[in-house]
Amino acid sequence: LMLCYFSSCSSWLPQRVPLRGSHWQSSLLELRTSLPVRAQPKKKKKVDVKKEQAQKDRMKKKLKKLEKAAPELIPIEDFIPPLKYSDSSRVRSLPALSPEESERRVLLLKKWSVFKQKQDEAEKNAIKCLVESQQEALKELRLESEELYEAAIRRDEGLFPFQRDGPSYTPPLPGYDPPEGKCIDITKVYTQ
Amino acid sequence: GALLGCHRSYRSRPTHGIGKFKYLLPKEVPKKKKEKVQMKEIDAGTEYQYGDVNIQMTSHDLCLVEHFAQYVHRLCNSLSIRVNESYAMPTRTNEVLFMEEKGSKMQLDAVLTTHQRVIQVCGLSSTFAPILLEIIQSSQPEGVHLLMKQHTEADFKSRLKSRPELEELLAEMS
Repeated sequence: LMLCYFSSCSSWLPQRVPLRGSHWQSSLLELRTSLPVRAQPKKKKKVDVKKEQAQKDRMKKKLKKLEKAAPELIPIEDFIPPLKYSDSSRVRSLPALSPEESERRVLLLKKWSVFKQKQDEAEKNAIKCLVESQQEALKELRLESEELYEAAIRRDEGLFPFQRDGPSYTPPLPGYDPPEGKCIDITKVYTQ
Repeated sequence: GALLGCHRSYRSRPTHGIGKFKYLLPKEVPKKKKEKVQMKEIDAGTEYQYGDVNIQMTSHDLCLVEHFAQYVHRLCNSLSIRVNESYAMPTRTNEVLFMEEKGSKMQLDAVLTTHQRVIQVCGLSSTFAPILLEIIQSSQPEGVHLLMKQHTEADFKSRLKSRPELEELLAEMS
């Protein structure tokens, strides 16, 4: 408020420098932290601003360059064969099979393929039965009430996410006291 | 005068095609331009369809999880469910240490690798999704953990390499 009052009487002075025109203002340094030398402050500010601008531009350029590079997928270690198997000079020689052995193998293969075919057919049958019974149930529901049918047709939000651990060979041992320990994650971190 | 000077071979003349030789050279395979890894639009699905769903199978046994993923993929193919992508997530390695019974030192027990395969399906109808889930569960092998969830951007980003320089710069800018 003081500055505005004083700037009108002496306009040739820069706005920032407070005037010591009044008796309530004890020192010039009250409103400013640095000593107000006339020409110096202006130059400092200009150079600073320019430097800052140049720095910002450099950073923007760097950012643009980095953003231009497409993101890469992390390489999968499973699909990279380990180096110790790259030596292709070693060749394995298999022993010759007797006719009984080859006969036995062919018959086994046939039995296996029949077993797998039955398994696959059973699965397809199961799917067909499930779908059929579901359709029948929905048809009956529709006859019962249209509203319930509409609600049943909609997707279930609670279905996903769905988690399940695979079955185990044996049930958990009762009263088993596991030893204390910890797991350290030593996965290699790839950076671009 | 000008017509006598031109030597163009017409299609009817026996000299047509004289000077051609590229058909004699072996066919050059066009150079494949490196495809940029870009995120495909995530389908959110409608009220009667599920959109992009990820079937994630995790296990310590590589062959088992690989074969199970192949089985699930073939199953989806046979049921005419659209499979968007079928990929592997990066392998995670863990060192398992346990405390000795008589002692305070941690002893290295084993180095376990966790493998994960993901199959992304699209367009599952609301009535068929539980049936598919049931079938996959019934053939789930031991030691394979199954997870079915909707695909998000975070899932895609977890496959990409981290870029600390870019993140640093972005943090500085803002």
